[in-house]
Amino acid sequence: MKLTRRTFLKDAGLLLASLGLEPSLLPRMADALEEMASGRAPILWLQGLSCSGCSVSLLNSESPGPADLITRYLSLYFHQTLSAATGAAAKDAVETAIAKGGYILVVEGAVPLGVKEACKFADENFSEQLLRAARSAQAVVCTGTCAAFGGIPAAPPNLTGAAGVGAALKQAGLARPLINLPGCPTHPAWLVGTLLQVLKSGLPELDELQRPTRFFGQLLHEQCPLFAQYQKKHFAQALGEDGCLFKLGCQGVVTQADCSLRGWNGGVNWCIRGRSICIGCARPEFALDPQFAFFRLNENDLL
Amino acid sequence: MAQKIILDPVTRIEGHLRIDTRVDNGQVIEAWSKGEMFRGFEALLKGRDPLDAPVITQRICGVCPVSHAIASCKAIEAANDLRVPANGHLLRTLVLAANYLQSHILHFYHLSALDFVQVEALLDYAGRDPVLLDLRHWAQGELNSNRVLPVAPFLPKLPGDYPGNREWNLGALGHYVEALDIRQEAHRMAALLGGKIPHTATLVPGGLTLLPEAALLEDFRTRLRRVKRFIENCYIPDLLLAARLFPAYAETGRGVERYLSYGAFDEAGGSWMPAGTVRHEGYAPLDLSLIREETHASFYRGNLQESPQAAAAPVPQPDKPGAYSWLKAPRYDGLSYEVGPLARLKVAAAAGHRPIAQALAAFLREAGLPEHKLASTLGRHAARALEALLIAERMERWLDQVDPAAPAIAPHNNRMTGTGVGLVEAPRGALGHWITLAAGRIGSYQCVVPSTWNFSPRGQGQDPGPVEAALQGTPVNPDFQGLEVARVVRSFDPCIACAVH
Repeated sequence: MKLTRRTFLKDAGLLLASLGLEPSLLPRMADALEEMASGRAPILWLQGLSCSGCSVSLLNSESPGPADLITRYLSLYFHQTLSAATGAAAKDAVETAIAKGGYILVVEGAVPLGVKEACKFADENFSEQLLRAARSAQAVVCTGTCAAFGGIPAAPPNLTGAAGVGAALKQAGLARPLINLPGCPTHPAWLVGTLLQVLKSGLPELDELQRPTRFFGQLLHEQCPLFAQYQKKHFAQALGEDGCLFKLGCQGVVTQADCSLRGWNGGVNWCIRGRSICIGCARPEFALDPQFAFFRLNENDLL
Repeated sequence: MAQKIILDPVTRIEGHLRIDTRVDNGQVIEAWSKGEMFRGFEALLKGRDPLDAPVITQRICGVCPVSHAIASCKAIEAANDLRVPANGHLLRTLVLAANYLQSHILHFYHLSALDFVQVEALLDYAGRDPVLLDLRHWAQGELNSNRVLPVAPFLPKLPGDYPGNREWNLGALGHYVEALDIRQEAHRMAALLGGKIPHTATLVPGGLTLLPEAALLEDFRTRLRRVKRFIENCYIPDLLLAARLFPAYAETGRGVERYLSYGAFDEAGGSWMPAGTVRHEGYAPLDLSLIREETHASFYRGNLQESPQAAAAPVPQPDKPGAYSWLKAPRYDGLSYEVGPLARLKVAAAAGHRPIAQALAAFLREAGLPEHKLASTLGRHAARALEALLIAERMERWLDQVDPAAPAIAPHNNRMTGTGVGLVEAPRGALGHWITLAAGRIGSYQCVVPSTWNFSPRGQGQDPGPVEAALQGTPVNPDFQGLEVARVVRSFDPCIACAVH
């Protein structure tokens, strides 16, 4: 379908409204919004204190797969792991994107708010680059627990003053539509599903922690295939045993995520099917309390 | 007149890397490798439950989490005298190997090849390959649109001497797409036994939590055969073609010509690829007591020279005079060493591992690469491709050795005191975790990581690290803005999240 400029601008106005943005942003973001109206999500992807695990997870998207994502659904303006542009060309690509604006900013990794030199890109502290990029974004998607809530880099003693993106934007007084997709890494279906939702119909329904309720609305435990074993009080007492893993430290009872229905890596497996515990990697508190061990092998008297 | 060429950021790698060079007469005279990201894993592990360590340390890196999980498990097992059953070693080896395959394939096609490919060759493609036709159609549509950055992420790119060879350009682009599926398949294999990936769930001290049922193993085998076919029919031929097309890159990136390997892939009776070091004098067995990490050019308090067993977590000092990187400088007997696939094959051949030595010699003949040019940009890519093939061939033997009825995990003894070292070869080279346990908690933790070795800044004696040394003498055209430098750097497969942690 060929869009006329006029119908496009009308649609784009509706799109902006659905994202809760001011119509005055329209001229500035017109090019990027036109991309969206043509069925492609313009993405600027930046990495902070990250392990690139969420980038690798994106490449594990099943359907659409990575090749279709890159060429049919996303316009990857810049991605540190995938962009051909390197050195000066990479810096130029990022600056071109920021100057045009209107993209969905995907952030992977936490933000060092204390030791700002702990993450740099093209001679600029990441914490400052992030603010510049967020100002021109139509929405910010925080992929992974680090970007959403700080994650492992923010665990005590948190030498760099690492924080999630939402906290960093708030500290700078910058309000943007923001979506948190925790998980270590985030599940590719959570990320791709959210980007497509934003592309096709605007912001998804979010909970009080800005997480899409569609993916994070229920406890993992409630849909767990071992739920019946839990009710029968059939518990694994040691690693490698059959039974509900609750007594070994499984955090499915406090973790909101749909892993138990979805599985990982194309559904071939997931943590609990592999008889390991849920470590609560999608929880906002993930890894933050050093006293809260993942495995509780010596505490078998809880129930 | 000397000038500077700075690559900032180096993309298509893991993490945050900047390379500074001083160039004179069209050649790199001096180079500085700058790691640009620090998180502080060693400090945050202190005081935690020991079993937290494999969970947390594999999150140092989303590209090679399996290596960290295994190194961490081994360190705790050494401290606690936990005896992993044969199944546990085999299954770990299989998860590790599956992740090697995804990592090596990702590195060649998605991270490195674009430095050598004329992407525009797509536009006049006139053949009938559906993948390439699809790509051509897409790229043309992009260029005819008013998109902000058309044909991203394949364009823009640095200007340079991209080749005109159509077979290579189109093959590399078509296989870029196919390799996306294949590396994903390798990750499904890793998840079948590892629970999920990135960041596995089943790898714990003592072995693996899952039961290796026969159907699971055959599912793994079916996928392995698909990945192996790709390596045999695409990766290896593409590498051989690249060796013919880019002979100049057999002349760059020589490096320090000192190699170190901890020995790779645990089998019954030891590691398949042997441990040791190689220098001009030849092979020598590994002596861990010779490892020190130096911090003279690193953004950490003090000019230290510490054994990883005795070191405290580093304290950041970003304004430290003379410092230029978040990486520490590992040294073995006072010298920098290269690690990775090239080092593993060199060590294996020098240690007298005949099957690997013969495979290497035959592959070099086929590639038209004389043995003395193996230490080069091209040689590193060749070593990685050959290693992928050898591993894929070896994996069926490991699969056959798994006993589907036997457990894969040792009972825990809850001792949780003592010290331990866990050594493993990650896709990028030698990885060691050093742990001390005190009163059931982690007393100290140190990781010395492959890219820390390779991308090391200068040490106490102002001696350059392996990549800094490898860049010396690289011919550069100033108009290309550092493209040749990037090619040399990427041959080491940098992972900076690992290197700094």
